[in-house]
This record gives sequence, C-alpha cells and structure tokens, in this order.
Amino acid sequence: MSAEPWITFVSDHLSELWIRTGEHLILTGFSTISALLIGVPLGILIFRNSWLRGPALGGVGILQTIPSLAMLVFLLALLQKIGVLPAVIALTLYALLPIVRNTFTGLTGVSPQVMEAAKGIGMTEGQQLRMVRLPLATPVIVAGIRTAAVVSVGIATLSAFIGAGGLGQFINRGLALYNTRLILLGAVPAAMLALLVDFAIGSFEWGLRPVRKQDKPGSARAIIRPVALMMPLLLIVIGLFAYFTQPSLGTRPASVSNGGTVTVATKNFTEQLILGELMAQVLEAKTDLNVIRRFNLGGSMICHGALMNGEIDLYAEYTGTGLTAILKAPVIADPEKAFYYVKAAYRKQYDAEWLRPFGFNNTYAITVRTQDAKQYGWHTISDLKEAAPGLKAGFTAEFAERPDGYPGLSKAYGFEFGGIRDLDPSLMYEAVSKGEVDVICAFATDGRIAAYRLTPLKDDLQFFPPYHAAPVVREAVLAEHPEVEQALSLLEGILDDQTMQQLNFEVDAKKRDAGRVASEFLKKKGVI
Amino acid sequence: MIQLRGVSKTFDGGTSYAVKDLSFQVEAGETVVLLGSSGCGKTTTLKMINRLVEPTHGHIEVGGEDVMNQDPALLRRRIGYVFQGIGLFPHMTIEQNVGLVPRLLGWSARKRGERVRELLRLVGLAPEDYADRFSEALSGGQQQRVGVARALAADPAYLLMDEPFGALDALTREALQQELLGLKKKLEKTIIFVTHDIFEALLLGDRIVILHQGNVQQIGTKKEILSAPATPFVRDLFGKPAKQLADFKDILK
Repeated sequence: MSAEPWITFVSDHLSELWIRTGEHLILTGFSTISALLIGVPLGILIFRNSWLRGPALGGVGILQTIPSLAMLVFLLALLQKIGVLPAVIALTLYALLPIVRNTFTGLTGVSPQVMEAAKGIGMTEGQQLRMVRLPLATPVIVAGIRTAAVVSVGIATLSAFIGAGGLGQFINRGLALYNTRLILLGAVPAAMLALLVDFAIGSFEWGLRPVRKQDKPGSARAIIRPVALMMPLLLIVIGLFAYFTQPSLGTRPASVSNGGTVTVATKNFTEQLILGELMAQVLEAKTDLNVIRRFNLGGSMICHGALMNGEIDLYAEYTGTGLTAILKAPVIADPEKAFYYVKAAYRKQYDAEWLRPFGFNNTYAITVRTQDAKQYGWHTISDLKEAAPGLKAGFTAEFAERPDGYPGLSKAYGFEFGGIRDLDPSLMYEAVSKGEVDVICAFATDGRIAAYRLTPLKDDLQFFPPYHAAPVVREAVLAEHPEVEQALSLLEGILDDQTMQQLNFEVDAKKRDAGRVASEFLKKKGVI
Repeated sequence: MIQLRGVSKTFDGGTSYAVKDLSFQVEAGETVVLLGSSGCGKTTTLKMINRLVEPTHGHIEVGGEDVMNQDPALLRRRIGYVFQGIGLFPHMTIEQNVGLVPRLLGWSARKRGERVRELLRLVGLAPEDYADRFSEALSGGQQQRVGVARALAADPAYLLMDEPFGALDALTREALQQELLGLKKKLEKTIIFVTHDIFEALLLGDRIVILHQGNVQQIGTKKEILSAPATPFVRDLFGKPAKQLADFKDILK
C-alpha cells in the first residue's frame, strides 16, 4: 500500500509516538486517580447508608451505558472547552462504576465472624472500618481500580476526537486519511499500554499484601516489594516526563494569541488537514508568529465551539456549513450571496471574520460507480428517480440528518432510496466501489472519487448550497496581528476543484504526508 | 462481679424468647459455665454482657455498674472475649492480633511487645516462632490459643468464653481445658464459659447454669446438680452420658 517500509514509518513517528503515549498515560492516570478519590469514599458511603445504594449504584451504572462519543460531546457542550479537561472528566465518570461497586462488594464481603470479633474486642465504628474492613477489602477494591484503569486506556483513544491528544490521535488521523498504518500506530501501543497498566496495578496490589515471615529484610521479595508498589506511580511519572519533554508537539490549551502565537485547527478529514497545513505554513513563512496546530478535532460544531471560546484562533470552514449547520439559515444557492451572508452574520454574532475563499467548491456530490453511470445512462441526480427504490444508499450520519442533506434532497427531487446505511466518511468510498451500497454522498473534491472509479452526478436542481472553503479567524486575532490576514490572503483563489481533488488524492490514495503535500504545492505556486 | 437480673431477650417482638427472665450472679474470681444445647440462649446471654446484643428487659451489671450506662467500646475493652469462631484478623500477624486491645487502649509499642511475648509464652506458643506469623499458618488449636491470649491482653478482670474449644479435636481440646484450669488458678479472673459439653462444664465450672429453650433449669455446683437435679431435663441431661459410658464399657468387653 505504501512505498515506505514499516521501520522507517515507525521511526519517523517515534518522537510523536513518545509524546502521544505520555498524553495517553496522563489521561488514564489522572482520570483513574480522580475516580479513585471519588469512588472509594462513595463506596464506603453506600456501604454505611443502605438507602443510598440503589440510587448511587444505578447512577454510576447509567453513566457507564452512555456511549463514549456522546459523553464527550455532551461534556464539551457543558464545559464550553475542548481538550484534556472534558476528556479526563468523561474517563473519570466511566471509571466510577467498577471502583464504587468493588469497594462496596469488598466491604460487604468481609467475614461476619471477623467483624464480630472487631466489635467484640472494643473497636469503635471508625476503627472497625479503618483497621479491619478496609484492609480486608483492599484486594477487591484494587481489582476494581485495575478494571477501571484498563478500560480507561481503551476509552482514552476517543479523547483525540475533542483535541485531548493521546494515542487516539493516530487512530483518528488514520481514519481520516484512510491509512491503516496510522491506525495501527495508535491501536497497537494502546493495547500494549493496557497490558502494562494492568501489570502495574497488579504489582501494586501484590506489594500491598501483608508482609509474610519469609519476606525477611534483604530477601528478594523485600527488595521487589517497594518497587512493585511504585509501579503505577512510575507510569504516571513517565507520562508527565513524555508530556513535558517535547512541548512543541503538545496539545495543551495554548495561551491563545498573546505573546505571538496563533492556533490553527482542522476538522478530522483529509482536505481539512491539507488546508490546515497550507494556512499554518503560510503563517510560519510570512509572519513571526509561533503557530500551534490543533488538528483533527471531531467536526464542525467542535471547531466552532473552540473558536468561540478562544481555544483556537482559526480554521477553514465551508460556506454551506456555516450557513445551514452553524447559523441555521436557509440555503442560499448563489455562492457570492452565500459568502457575504455568512461573513456579515459571523461578524455580528460571533466576532469572527471570514477571509477570502480558497477557490474550490467542496459541495456534496451524489456519487455512483462509473460503471453503473455508463450502463444506465445516469448523468444527473434526477436520472436516479426511477431506479431509486431499488438502490441502497450509504450516507454519513451528518448527511442523513442535516436539512441540506438527505431529508431536503429527497423532498426537492421527489424520490427516496430503497435503503439507507450510516457510514463513516472514510469507509463510504470503499463501500460503494465494492458494491455494498450503490449511492454515496461524496465530497466533490475528494481524491477517492477518482481513485475508486466513481462518478459524481450533476445537481441539476441546484439543491446543494455552495461549499466554498475559507479561513475563519477570530476578530481579536486579526486586530492584534494584522499580518495574519495579509499572509492568509496569499491563499485566496489558489485552489480550484481539480487541484483540491489532486491534493486530496496525493494524501488519500498515495498515503503521503499532508504537510509535505501542502509545502510542495505552496512552493510550486511560489507562495513560500 | 457480674450480675444479671430478670434478663430477657426477644428477636421477634415477643413471639418467642431467646432468653427469658434470667438471673444469676458471678462472684469475683469465680468461673460459671452456661450449659445447654444449641439454641438454648447461652451465646445470646454472653453477648448481652458486653452489649454485642442488648437485652429487651432486665438489668446487667458488670463491676457494679449497669452495662447500658457504659460506652460499649470502652466496656468491651475491659472484658476479654474468646469467640466461638476465633475471629483472628487475617491481615495482621499473631503479634498484632494479640496486641490489638492494648493498642486501642493506647499502650506504648514497647509495653505492648513485652505483653504479647509474655502472653504467647503463657498459652504455650514460643514468641520467636509465632509472633510474626499470620493466622492462616496456624492449626485450629494454635489459633484458639492466640484467641485466648488476645482476650487476656489488656489484663481484663472479666473473661467471656463462647465455646472456645468446640471446633477442636478431642485431644487438643483436653489439653487446652487442662491449660485453662492452670491459667484460672494463676490469673484469678471472673469467667463465664459457654459450652454444650457436659464434661467440659463439670471440669471447668465452679458453678453451672443449665439453660433449656431460654429458661433456667438449675443453677448450682456440680455436686448440687448431680445429687439433686431440679428438673427432668437436668436428670436426662446428666443421665445420658452415664448410660453412654456404660454402653461403651460393654463394647470393650
């Protein structure tokens, strides 16, 4: 699939792998510790107050059933923040159930004979708990913490979705670029990390056990014991070390736009990454600002939210998306009118500025296999009307719901497809080329349209709004650093549909690095 | 001195009584055995004395003061208790188990250490071999010796023993019974000892309280009970082992 051998691929990413592993350890470590600090006292509380048991165990149980992505997005909306904080909170909430339940079970499971003895020799309630119940319940409690930590390692891979970093960043990027190697680069270390965390907490539990007679000072066990106890702490220290050794790659909430930094963000698909690189590289070449990249955020609403909170300074948005998804305004078919509408509305409502568009129009394109298009003579969307009930469509979840997506489309054209499957954008193209679905909602500039031999159909009723991409920048940043606007103006009109498709193709099909593709293009155009 | 006056206990609001209208007195330095089959209320009686169970009616005095007026934790630290199930703490060493009540009473570590070694020697366990062990590494008889040592740790004036030797084999039991007799002379404790074993009761008790279904059948020295059983139940109770002994001799012939 790729020209690069595995060894070079991994060694190229080694420094980033190091820092992502560090972030991952920190996410897991901090969330497990906070879950521990909340969960164990809560477990003790419900042990002592039986009326609290049902509500508390039910509550933490329900938390566990919330899908991880839904939880992240919900916290994002609640906290108005992207990054580490909502991720740690989400992971903490997930870790509560095993810890609370095991604490309760452990305390309940202590033999009644032992407890009667504790009471009978004259221990107070507190002494019974502290000196007898808790120590005897410890193995069960630690087992719960162990479960929680291992599960956290898994769920933490999703935190990259809201810009919290971690090994999920590779997985996200791999999914966006349809690059199996990148996915494995995140998934394999994450799995190994889970085993390591399990081992570390297991050793901790071993180290906590009462000292036996054979563990005389100087014996091997007596030496290993403190080391075993320190294992989880060691992992967190390694995480912190990795996190702080290479700050340039980090995703800490940057102190935005003061002291001459500017934070560029992207959504999580190929074209966005290329646009992000183009903007970042022009800013690096033409201004003195320090550019921070916060790429691969999980969608339009997350980018927009982060821009509003000042956590990011700019990203590339599409006019159609700004119009319908963010401003909730009706569709405007004329590209110029649409652009000026969003520009005025953003200025008024969001204190953000739309700069001049890059040039191409990445609108939705109802796309079929080229072979089918030729065989049945399909050129426009209207041509599908008769065949539609027998066709299976594969749409992104967003397209299936949005008013400017399928619901509006079927109303405007007056037909519905036989079946709809929700597909991830990165899987859509392959699914249609392999015949698992017949129609997809491609993006007009996607490189995979050519790569998978697909044909976009003409939107003969002009249903889809224009999707011209343009940099959206916070006004405060433009006021403080006018050079940002100057630099980004060099990108105006630089990309037409074909060129964008070509760049996407380089990254998607040829598996090349988005940064390299962007810099080659900028050099060829003489911009940098 | 321990005194019970008109003590009753019901667990079901008065439908049935585990103990009914029980009165007796244990003089200082005396050993009284509560004898009866299981379910007769003897363990409940014992637990009421240190407030593990609270009486429904009646009064219990320990050292001349009503137990209900005393702080339960402090009361229990003044009364040694040997549990039926031994109840050693599995996460503590033998030394820590025996030294626990002194620790609760705030003794210094050094004084505790000396006391633990003294007591382990008293119950026949060499401190250098056993002090650092955990209870799981001990036989049932050794565990029960530790249980006795723990009850004696803070040198309490009163000792409550709930079938301490019930789960042991006959040889170990006899050895421990003999040792307890020895200890009794040496320590001068006020002891209440619960058992269902008639021979144990006859061996250890200065006086015996015979209980049946929560009611007292007879209170007296072994001589009084053997020579003048107060009820048919008492007569049967002591008649049976005599008959068994006779049968056993027949088999040997």
